Amino acid sequence: MPVLRAVLVLVCLALVPAPAAAASLDRVGFVAGLCDDAAAQVRAAEGLIQSAGEVPADDLAFAAGLLGALAERRLACPADGALLLDRPGASEGRDALTGLARATPDARVPVLGLRQRAAVETARGVTALLTGPDPAARAAGLAAAERRIATVPAAVLDRARDAESDAGLKERITGLAQAAALSSPDPVRRRAAIAAVAAHPSGAAQARLAALKGDPAYAADHAFRAALDAGLATVSRAVAVGDGLAVVYNGLSFASILFMAAAGLAIIFGLMGVINLAQGEFIMLGAYATYGVQEAFRRLAPGLLDLYLVAAIPVAFCAVALVGIVVEALILRHLYRRPLMSLLATWAVSLFLVNLVRVTVGTQNLQFVMPAYVSGGVPLYADFVVTWNRLFAIGFAAATLVLTLLILRRTPLGLDIRAVTQNRDMAACLGLPTRRVDRLAFGLGSGIAGLAGVALCPIYSVNPGMGSGFIVDSFMVVVLGGVGSLLGTLVAALGIGGANVLIEPVSGAVAAKVIVLVGIILFLQRRPEGLFAVRRRR
Amino acid sequence: MTGLVIEALTVAFGRFTALDGVSLAVDPGEVRAVIGPNGAGKTTLLDVISGITKPVSGRVMLGDRIDLTTRSEAEIARAGVRRKFQKPSVFPALTVRENLEIGCGPAVPAGARAARIASVLGEIGLGPRADIMAGRLSHGEKQWLEIGMVLAAEPALLLLDEPVAGLSDAETAQTAALIRALRRPDRAILVIEHDMNFVEAVADRVTVLHEGRTLYEGSLRGARSDARVIEVFLGR
Amino acid sequence: MSGAMQTVLAPPAGPARRAVRDPLVAGLVGLCLAVAVGLLVARPAPYLVNALGQLAAFAILAVSLDLVWGYLGILSLGHGLFFAIGGYVCAMHLLSHGVAVTGVLPDFVQFMGWKSLPAYWAGLDHPAYALVLALALAGLVAFLFGLASFRSRVNGVYFSIISQALVYVAMLLMYRNDTGLGGNNGMTGFPLLFGWPMGSPGVATGLAVAALVALAVVLAGTRLLVGSAVGRRMLACRDDETRLRTLGYSTTRLKLGIWCLSAMIAALAGILYVPQVGIINPRVLAPDLSIEIAVWVAIGGLGRLGGAVIGAVLVNGLKFWLSAAMPEAWPFILSGLVLVVVLVLPNGLLDLVALRPRPTWLRSSR
Repeated sequence: MPVLRAVLVLVCLALVPAPAAAASLDRVGFVAGLCDDAAAQVRAAEGLIQSAGEVPADDLAFAAGLLGALAERRLACPADGALLLDRPGASEGRDALTGLARATPDARVPVLGLRQRAAVETARGVTALLTGPDPAARAAGLAAAERRIATVPAAVLDRARDAESDAGLKERITGLAQAAALSSPDPVRRRAAIAAVAAHPSGAAQARLAALKGDPAYAADHAFRAALDAGLATVSRAVAVGDGLAVVYNGLSFASILFMAAAGLAIIFGLMGVINLAQGEFIMLGAYATYGVQEAFRRLAPGLLDLYLVAAIPVAFCAVALVGIVVEALILRHLYRRPLMSLLATWAVSLFLVNLVRVTVGTQNLQFVMPAYVSGGVPLYADFVVTWNRLFAIGFAAATLVLTLLILRRTPLGLDIRAVTQNRDMAACLGLPTRRVDRLAFGLGSGIAGLAGVALCPIYSVNPGMGSGFIVDSFMVVVLGGVGSLLGTLVAALGIGGANVLIEPVSGAVAAKVIVLVGIILFLQRRPEGLFAVRRRR
Repeated sequence: MTGLVIEALTVAFGRFTALDGVSLAVDPGEVRAVIGPNGAGKTTLLDVISGITKPVSGRVMLGDRIDLTTRSEAEIARAGVRRKFQKPSVFPALTVRENLEIGCGPAVPAGARAARIASVLGEIGLGPRADIMAGRLSHGEKQWLEIGMVLAAEPALLLLDEPVAGLSDAETAQTAALIRALRRPDRAILVIEHDMNFVEAVADRVTVLHEGRTLYEGSLRGARSDARVIEVFLGR
Repeated sequence: MSGAMQTVLAPPAGPARRAVRDPLVAGLVGLCLAVAVGLLVARPAPYLVNALGQLAAFAILAVSLDLVWGYLGILSLGHGLFFAIGGYVCAMHLLSHGVAVTGVLPDFVQFMGWKSLPAYWAGLDHPAYALVLALALAGLVAFLFGLASFRSRVNGVYFSIISQALVYVAMLLMYRNDTGLGGNNGMTGFPLLFGWPMGSPGVATGLAVAALVALAVVLAGTRLLVGSAVGRRMLACRDDETRLRTLGYSTTRLKLGIWCLSAMIAALAGILYVPQVGIINPRVLAPDLSIEIAVWVAIGGLGRLGGAVIGAVLVNGLKFWLSAAMPEAWPFILSGLVLVVVLVLPNGLLDLVALRPRPTWLRSSR
């Protein structure tokens, strides 16, 4: 009876699944396998791969060392155990299991055949992935494992992912694990994997799920098809929303630049009837002023370099405003009430400025340092990333709008500007210094253009000819928004910027511009004075 | 018979109402003066009649059949309406004769043009200056040239916006005589003026506008003794 | 009422009577014809022949703009569009003709991998059809654009801005490589003109002579136009459009007619220009170039046809000369010239000749 009970206990013990301790690597068996024939080598390598998800780290390191030696022909196999040589063909090495030195008089050095090589490389990759000292080593291991990913169990990838600290590598591992899970033979696991993919929607996820539609299980397994369709629907919707948000965001940032480029133009045109063809060049001067500030910081206060963008704001405004005032005083003052001649004169100024910059600074694009507060962004939803540089532009434009409104509504200069815009002769009769108002307003309008130049440094390339890219759009904004109306400029900028960005992915940038232009001309048929112009008597 | 009938005309510029339900009727053969303080809406009234401004509501009937509010400026002019602007609007780069030729327009057949121009030149007294560029004329001469231009096509409705502004007393008297001589049974004449002596000399009746509404309509003498008109406009 | 008015103030200065004849235009017409004859007889250097021909083409372009700007008050900053229409259709004709005669496809067609010229090129090897098409297309584009603008009373600087936008958009369109019009490289390598090889001196002389004769014809024709009743109406429309309208004239129709005529003349200039430079590409549609046309007219004398010719010849002559000698300086010289003219000589260089500025009321410009 006691014997029977003992046997029963032993059988029960044998049947009970072994706890974690049993997951550690059988080192002796491993060594023996590597020193055995080809089939045994493959078995050892494959066995390691299968168990790598649970095996303790020191076992993995042990196995990694052996596999590496085997691949580099540094493993010697005497009658018992194995020896690790320092280099191929060395006369003595260290025992693989004990680490003690031993001579290698009659040790056979196994050579890896093609069949074993694949398994061994994969096993090495797995161990490198799990135990590599730095992200580069681990990435190399991942690449190696990826080549025969079908043989790598999910547990291994999960373990690697959980332990990974480098964000980029972690993402790659996750992707690989996902892909593996999606192709897993276990349908439950597959459906779970689909749901997991759908939970983090992105364009890549959508593509991954869509690829599964060609899988035979799609046609065969109802549950699988239902899960995949549902997952795809969720992801597609989320991606569409994300793309929509991106479009809105890009449109907003484009509109912000457009608004700042056009606001100054609108004020000047409303006040003096002058279309300033040099407005694009004023924007360019603002951008170059920003560069100047950056270089000054670099030379004088390199520690504060990142603040150059903020410091450039007042500098660009004042510098370009000054240029504007000079232009008005020297040239436009004499062209009073001659808008077409003023237009030609400002064109001459723009030609002069472009070539002046070209000759003094050069035609190359300027290199800007991207401070942290305008680099990168935060991913918000699906593929939509809120990039900081565009947010900077949007915020800047909003601040400009508020500031300009304050100037126009709350300061004496603003009142003068509004008065002269609405009825110049009457304002003059009341004693307003209309010429001085013209000069200051021209300076204000130019300064705002300079601010636009600052805002677009993190987004667009800066070179002497950059102004021409904005001038036509700015014109359209002013004409559409209504002469002299800041609110009109804002609405028109939003409209034109939004329309451009919406149409562009559908028909291309050129078609967008054409459609917007035609739209504006048609709109002007109905309302020739623009959106918000004050209707007044002839 | 033509004549002008304005019904409940309302004109607004944004939130500002320039004319508020103005009604007016000018008989053919009549000279009507529209007077009132600045900003009363007088020029706006002429703008609507000549088609430069479109009203919010109301009608402007020329004769019985033509609603001027639905027509363009050129169509209105071709219907026989002529307007003399407040600021002398002649074509400075053309001679006096050429200005009058344009004034004749398609209404006067080519053969009759020379005779018409000659007669108009006589009426306005610019015969000797016929080949002088209009830009070289004095202010008074320009006013007269413009009157000549609008007369050349024998209009059915003549709108005169401050025709004696800037003229001397002698010139004013001469202009008054000219306008009286323009009276015709099939022609209505509407005059805007501030000079009360001139108004007395030319007008059959007056309409007083104030802040976009009709304040008084009747004879000038009646207007001069109307209390509201005195308070608002004429003073004591 | 008779009797003279008593003028109290002295009359404003300026010419008293309107000039019936225009000696400057007559002189220029004679000069063009004389130079044309001279080219046929004297056979000067090819470089000079080519330069004269190009200058003549630019002069025609300037006259076309002066017609609408100086006489109608419409500043178009997009006339390069019509110039380009003429030039592109001419190029298409030359290439079609070359394909018809030699059987070799042009470079840009081979570059795109096409086996033949695009379908809409059909028939362009016939010069008469090409000429008619060029002028009709320019007229049509002008008509549509003008109709939309003039009907909605888009005037003054608004019109100038929108015309700039129009030519800018056209430039963007032409930069695309799939239009079948050469894309950003344009079209070049014209082999033949009416069967004769393009590079030969006879063809070059012939082209220059044709351009000069065309200039003479255009000058004479436009002079007759502006001297006629229509021309007087144009001046009236320029100086006081509302006045003209309230006298019963349809100014929209007048403006539209002259605008389309101007576009066709500009297209003619393009037709004469492209064979002489041997290339057309989207750069002729650059907004800056269209503004330059206005600069030629302004410098020479706005509102005087002879002035437009003088301005075009002077500025482009300077550009030819200086672009070789000091290319960096040219933009500065040009901008300086424009500023001087605009500030000091508001009616262009012809003011220097008259030794006194034109009075305000006679000025064509605003």
